[in-house]
Amino acid sequence: MSDPLLQLTGVTLRFGGLTAVSSVTADVKEGELAGLIGPNGAGKTTLFNLITGVYQPTDGRIEFAGAGTGGVKPFHLTGRGIARTFQNIRLFPSLSVADNVRVAFHRHLEHRTGHSWLRGRRFHAEEAELGERTRELLGIFNLERFQEAPAKSLSYGDQRRLEIVRALATGPRLLLLDEPAAGMNPSEKDELMRLIRFVRDRFGLAVLLVEHDMKVVMGICERIHVLEYGRKIAEGSPEEIRADPKVIAAYLGD
Amino acid sequence: MAFPVAQRWLLGVLVVSLGASALSGSIDPYFLDVVMGVGVSVVLASSLNLINGFTGQFSLGHAGFMAVGAYASAMLSTVVAPRLGWSPALLQWVFFPFSLVVGGVLAALAGLAVGAPSLRLKGDYLAIVTLGFGEIIRVILQNVDAVGGARGLTGVPTYSTLFWTFGTAALTVYTVWALLNSTHGRGFLAVADDEVAAEAMGLDTTRYKITAFGIGSFFAGVAGGLYAHLKGYLNPGGFSFDKSIEIVVMVILGGMGRHAGVVFAAILLTLLPEGLRELGGRSVPNPFGGAAWSLDWIKDMRMILYSLLLIVLMLTRPQGLFHRDERRRKRA
Repeated sequence: MSDPLLQLTGVTLRFGGLTAVSSVTADVKEGELAGLIGPNGAGKTTLFNLITGVYQPTDGRIEFAGAGTGGVKPFHLTGRGIARTFQNIRLFPSLSVADNVRVAFHRHLEHRTGHSWLRGRRFHAEEAELGERTRELLGIFNLERFQEAPAKSLSYGDQRRLEIVRALATGPRLLLLDEPAAGMNPSEKDELMRLIRFVRDRFGLAVLLVEHDMKVVMGICERIHVLEYGRKIAEGSPEEIRADPKVIAAYLGD
Repeated sequence: MAFPVAQRWLLGVLVVSLGASALSGSIDPYFLDVVMGVGVSVVLASSLNLINGFTGQFSLGHAGFMAVGAYASAMLSTVVAPRLGWSPALLQWVFFPFSLVVGGVLAALAGLAVGAPSLRLKGDYLAIVTLGFGEIIRVILQNVDAVGGARGLTGVPTYSTLFWTFGTAALTVYTVWALLNSTHGRGFLAVADDEVAAEAMGLDTTRYKITAFGIGSFFAGVAGGLYAHLKGYLNPGGFSFDKSIEIVVMVILGGMGRHAGVVFAAILLTLLPEGLRELGGRSVPNPFGGAAWSLDWIKDMRMILYSLLLIVLMLTRPQGLFHRDERRRKRA
């Protein structure tokens, strides 16, 4: 079997006396749809922040695509192929929908800041090509008709989708989704599940998903990691997790 | 793509100001002085707009960067230039732009020196650091005898013409505009909107902020050079905190992060005190007959009226003078 795309080995994060994440070992394989669940405050979002380089682990090691991520800045990790969405939507509200996606293409640009001053042929060719790619990407998610609208004017569901589109524009190999179903109604959730599967198949990337909605997690994840109080208490297929007494105890109490 | 239009605009302004410059001999000197002051203001406001408006960093040190450029280029013109033995035309057309660029580069270096360590700070905290920097510059200038100390620096040759002031203004506006209207440039706005998200989308937010600071303070330095060679005299007091505030007001009044609005506000706020001064010397006919009403009182109330107008404008147009949101417009 090939090496996992993302490998966490004994990852620990302490804030002073508080151990937010304690010796977590987990992995995400290439092209896998993995889930990360746990009660409130279990450390799921903190783990996301560790993977994306916002926090540095106090102990342990994180490897992405075979290389350690220790000390690497978040924007460099994005360049290496980790993209994310946020629990509370963090679009660029004053930018248009198209520009939100366009800036995310930034790392793949060949021209540099100086070229936008000279505005030569190459600059225009590349900008035009990016415009085309942005339109194409928005088109896949039926957002192209909002292109010129400011991102803040979109409906809640559309903003969530735009966040995913923006993350995809960075060209990731691993997409981290932080509670994508939060605040969605049942039909929107069904739509979201279809969307996540579609994204994985179409772009051939691995997805790691933090989610509270069990229907969504159980419905699409192939493998689920369970956190409680910063420790990993279980890992397995949805069926295994559903039947795991430790998980049931964590959610329902002893 | 409308971009060649922008470059044509730039070229157009350069040609027109060159023409106007040639005719400036027949223009009233006071009027000329005011108009060139407008050009300097446009450079200052547009460059600060890149930092405060577009990138969302609150700098209160623009007058400090301006002072660095002003003194640097003025020293070049008063100390180095006379020893070269160049002809006046050569001095004005070659040495002067060179001294402006040197002033700009030194100001940019000062900007980077302040910016690099303090850009972790946000909002009010950054404002205070830049404010402190501006004051340090002023106090140093006040106490260094080589640059005239508190007496000021006199005898700066008046090389600034309509061409140099408006040419630089056009170049500044073009630079800020061109920088913003590109995929890279949208990054400045993204940094202003949400730094965490920008970082997660692969933007090096620190580099963006430093770039904004570097370019913004470069043009502030150039504006300082223009100012020095316009007035022929520099005084540290002219680069106090008040001056920084004046520029910040232009940016806020024009609407943070609007190109045209800020240019317009810079023009308006530079002309307004002069316009009121002019008005103070006149009188209006009395509609009820009798003696004409003198407007002499405006002379004394000039700065109060100016401040009142600012308050009224902010209350009625908090989003800036121009309501239309330029950012939403299709990329040119």
